[in-house]
Amino acid sequence: MSSDSSSSSPLSDGFADPNSDPKLVDEQFDLLTLNEPAELERNRRGNGNEIADETLNRERNNIVAEDDVQLRVEDQEIFGEEEPPSPRSSGYAGGRGSSSATSPSRIGEASEIDDNEIQELRNDGSLGRISDYHASSWVPGKRHVDEDDASISWRKRKKHFFILSNSGKPIYSRYGDEHKLAGFSATLQAIISFVENSGDRVKLVKAGKHQVVFLVKGPIYLVCISCTEEPFESLKGQLELIYGQLILILTKSINRCFEKNPKFDMTPLLGGTDVVFSSLIHLFSWNPATFLHAYTCLPLAYATRQAASAILQDVADSGVLFAILMCKHKVISLVGAQKDSLHPDDMLLLSNFVLSSESFRTSESFSPICLPRYNPMAFLYAYVHFLDVDTYLMLLTTSSDAFYHLKECRIRIEVVLLKSNVLSEVKRSMMDGGMHVEDLPADPLPQSGSSPHLGKQTLTSDSPERPREPFIGIGGPAGLWHFIYRSIFLDQYVSSEFSPPLNSPRQQKRLFRAYQRLYASMHAKGIGPHKTQFRRDANYVLLCWVTQDFEFYAAFDPLADKALAIKTCNRVCQWVKDVENEIFLQGASPFSW
Amino acid sequence: MGCSSSLPDRSSGRLTGLNTGENSEGPDAKNLRVKLVLLGDSGVGKSCIVLRFVRGQFDPTSKVTVGASFLSQTIALQDSTTVKFEIWDTAGQERYAALAPLYYRGAGVAVIVYDITSPDSFAKAQYWVKELQKHGSPGIVMALVGNKADLQEKREVQVQDGIDYAEKNGMFFIETSAKTADNINQLFEEIAKRLPRPSSS
Repeated sequence: MSSDSSSSSPLSDGFADPNSDPKLVDEQFDLLTLNEPAELERNRRGNGNEIADETLNRERNNIVAEDDVQLRVEDQEIFGEEEPPSPRSSGYAGGRGSSSATSPSRIGEASEIDDNEIQELRNDGSLGRISDYHASSWVPGKRHVDEDDASISWRKRKKHFFILSNSGKPIYSRYGDEHKLAGFSATLQAIISFVENSGDRVKLVKAGKHQVVFLVKGPIYLVCISCTEEPFESLKGQLELIYGQLILILTKSINRCFEKNPKFDMTPLLGGTDVVFSSLIHLFSWNPATFLHAYTCLPLAYATRQAASAILQDVADSGVLFAILMCKHKVISLVGAQKDSLHPDDMLLLSNFVLSSESFRTSESFSPICLPRYNPMAFLYAYVHFLDVDTYLMLLTTSSDAFYHLKECRIRIEVVLLKSNVLSEVKRSMMDGGMHVEDLPADPLPQSGSSPHLGKQTLTSDSPERPREPFIGIGGPAGLWHFIYRSIFLDQYVSSEFSPPLNSPRQQKRLFRAYQRLYASMHAKGIGPHKTQFRRDANYVLLCWVTQDFEFYAAFDPLADKALAIKTCNRVCQWVKDVENEIFLQGASPFSW
Repeated sequence: MGCSSSLPDRSSGRLTGLNTGENSEGPDAKNLRVKLVLLGDSGVGKSCIVLRFVRGQFDPTSKVTVGASFLSQTIALQDSTTVKFEIWDTAGQERYAALAPLYYRGAGVAVIVYDITSPDSFAKAQYWVKELQKHGSPGIVMALVGNKADLQEKREVQVQDGIDYAEKNGMFFIETSAKTADNINQLFEEIAKRLPRPSSS
């Protein structure tokens, strides 16, 4: 993202966007003022991670310039402007500009492929990433296998994913039986090759409220058909991840099979992996790592995480390429030999693979896996062992003979983890959860001397320090409902736990999608990058703030006061800073790719 | 010699400290250790056989094995020798076929499993037998196992076909049911008896 011209001084995080429209800037003035004394105070120890008053002044100058259609900072706070709660027919329908980078075009029917929609595929290889907590009720596995493209129920599914070969052979379908979808796959292949024959590539077709997103990876085609109104870039990122998952299972050398035999049938090679793909697709609805390109850690006391890291480092020094200790989707610690670094996308795909394949839980395993960002052509070997129900150790090596060595490493690690109570601390952390918006410290000043403790705060649910703000809704101060903070340097993020009123999975998913749109708009190519964004609709106030060091996303009650919301964001960022030793894995080599 | 007395060691899955050195064969004649690999088509019940043998469990929900799982189990024979099996339970999926040598290399025992209700899996078993005859360790002890013997009414591979094929290839043959535990311990005891003993102790 972006810190192009902007950074003028170490303290200034955001800054003048040369593209900003002066008129809109004016409109922002009344919205973004919040230089209160407290801000100044905090600013002193802000490490550049606060919206300092100075910063805010600058922000006024750049707040603007969002995607014309969707993401303008609104002076007038109009409810429902962006997102009526019911299915929005207007979202991506013909005539309306889109936030995808494709082009401002319109398309009514799938059949009319407009020139504007057909563009060079950008090979930026962007993938999604790993993450976090989750939704336990979901049962893995393929659904609705009895359906095919003639079934009404199949046609009504909101989001389809397909993998097919360039000869039109089905490889994977989220819903229905691949073999019954041969005709449908052939149709998709025909569309792609029709466009390719004219020396072009189809990226996106819009048909009413449906988007059809295409991704071509050599002989393998990936297609998403969706009416979820997710941005094009998000859907494309999801296809990239699905492709990455395929590579993780088979490596890119699969392409050779197609060179030898264009009619090659890949389905037998993927036997038994439906659950891996369906689980990944499920992650697209709740795991921010899939679009943030960062991983998240299980909150742990600094010393506890250090103890885990030390023993992992110890084994890494003995010839293990990567040693990764995780609890569900959260990282406890990870260590890489030499300067090799593990891409967060690879971590997402690897943990998804391990968590979705039940057999890893039965006993220790040794399996070939490929890390697509590390080396898409070669297998590594993964020793995987579950230390308890949720906690698992993965030791990766290039040597196919290393099993017994890795097994010994695991025994050593397990002994140390038990002795130093890491495993019991992990269990406790799982119970306690991470950051809760209700626990946002009222006034960070008194704590600046002492080292604040995440645990202390999260445990006291009705803290007397609860701020007395003019507006207190359900949730945290100033109507804060939820936030995500992503550290750019660490490639890690932290997301607050869901608190009331975000109780139901449905509400959580809706917020997730809102974040996803916000992320896409902030990172849209061509019109970005952007520094801040404030938007209000019937469901939320969403606030996003991007600096050189971090990206911050927050959701507030739709009636939240803007100035207070911004002030609260400052406090959250400070809070994150205060507990960073517990919520982030420090000292991991930055992922430099 | 009857071996019915074998008592599965419940501490399985862990090192059972019989001998030392992970990679070495047990040095004395009383305490043998041997690497055993299970091969066969996907879904024939390889993992179920192992889990029944090692943990005495049966889980009817199918869990596709990824790569290979490692488990170990020690049994005691009536002649007071013990045999520690270090078991590689390989995935049956086609994509792992090319990686099978990784797991059967150095194996003293290969258990090739098919499903008595699936002629295809019987054909696949024959493929593995040939592969091991070509590339397996010399002197490897091979067992041919027809699993899911509880599904008599769905049987498609006759017992005699199994017996004949095994005989032709110098293998030990048995039909088992991981579900009912039928013949599971017998399978491993029979293998244990057939292991070559160190010539002098």
